[in-house]
Amino acid sequence: MATPLIKLLHEHREELLDAWLHHAQSIWSGNGNYESLPQESRLRLRSIFDDIATLIAQTTPDDDFELNPEGALANHLHQFVTEQARIGSGANKTIGLMLSLKHLLSTRLFDRSEADAVADLMWLERIFDSLTQLTFTAFVDVREHLITQQSLSLLELSTPVLRLWSRILLLPLVGVIDTIRARQITERLLEAIARHEARVTILDLTGVPVIDTSVAQHLMKTIDAARLLGTQVVMTGISPEGAQTLTKLGIRFGDVLCRATLRAGIAEALLLTGQRISPVEERRS
Amino acid sequence: MPESFAGTKIPVMSAADIVTARRVARDLCERLGLGKADQTRLATAVSELARNVIQYACEGVCLIEDRSDSHTRRIRVQVEDRGPGIPDIPLAMTDGYSTSGGLGAGLPGTRRLVDEFQIESEPGHTRITIILRKPL
Repeated sequence: MATPLIKLLHEHREELLDAWLHHAQSIWSGNGNYESLPQESRLRLRSIFDDIATLIAQTTPDDDFELNPEGALANHLHQFVTEQARIGSGANKTIGLMLSLKHLLSTRLFDRSEADAVADLMWLERIFDSLTQLTFTAFVDVREHLITQQSLSLLELSTPVLRLWSRILLLPLVGVIDTIRARQITERLLEAIARHEARVTILDLTGVPVIDTSVAQHLMKTIDAARLLGTQVVMTGISPEGAQTLTKLGIRFGDVLCRATLRAGIAEALLLTGQRISPVEERRS
Repeated sequence: MPESFAGTKIPVMSAADIVTARRVARDLCERLGLGKADQTRLATAVSELARNVIQYACEGVCLIEDRSDSHTRRIRVQVEDRGPGIPDIPLAMTDGYSTSGGLGAGLPGTRRLVDEFQIESEPGHTRITIILRKPL
């Protein structure tokens, strides 16, 4: 059965596609961006358009429309959204594109108004509802994926174990220490201690905003494990307020060597390994 | 006219919310002109309570309010959850007691950190109220 919508798509396919691409171009260059729409995106939009046309030709307004999530259309749409999200364009642009196609089709359908187009309009509405939904879900998925990736790489970045001098390691802790990070910190540190045969490890807490019981417990476990490998731990960088809070909480780092600043900690570490920093002049004489 | 208090309600559902609650507490301290020691004191207390919520009840709410009057600067923090509750409060307030293999310093430590500490608990509802006071 050839409904007005199917006829419209059949007779004016190229013209509709051109109009849509034109519109896509104006959305694209909306934010002071005068580049033309990349060729790949054009091709992608073309195949999405073709898929939608095929979909409409194959179904009827009376069908219960459900978008096949494994179908070609869903796939193309997903790829397009992924590309768009990667290059950082907003969700409103991508969804705006889908809505503009719906608008285009319904306006044209209305203009023809040769037969009763209400059923077709409703149908169009249903199809584009699920397309918009899919676009939105795909967009959020991509973004969430990006965020997870970023926080993972941030995790990687934020726990470096530095070799300060021969057999002296420095572990500067920055930011929030939760269970996952604590485990990672311990793993990295133990590995480094074994590799460098470290005698002293300086644990600098200057960048840790709050030391509560949970953070303290993680630290204690890390320190205990490090000691089993034969390294001595010097803890530095606890602020005066932090120290006061810790004692009020009733947390004791009783047998851990502490120094107020990283500088004092380094001096202590050198002392423990029987070394010192001396002026160049002195050594010459 | 009933006094209105400037308050912030923070849903506590994940570890990230602990950081948010801590920051709100710290910011309010700073706004009231409290020193660094008090800021850290309150931030740590909030951190302990919020972490308990995540650990034992999975989710809850943290309400941070400025309840100052003309003589005293006062910050009230109320942490509530619908978790299993604390069966034996005196035991939970004992140093070194923990049901989760922790240090057992969270609740008793928090009580020492703040000026007022109140705890109400029954299965399905636990509310802990802490107040930090400082004369003007």
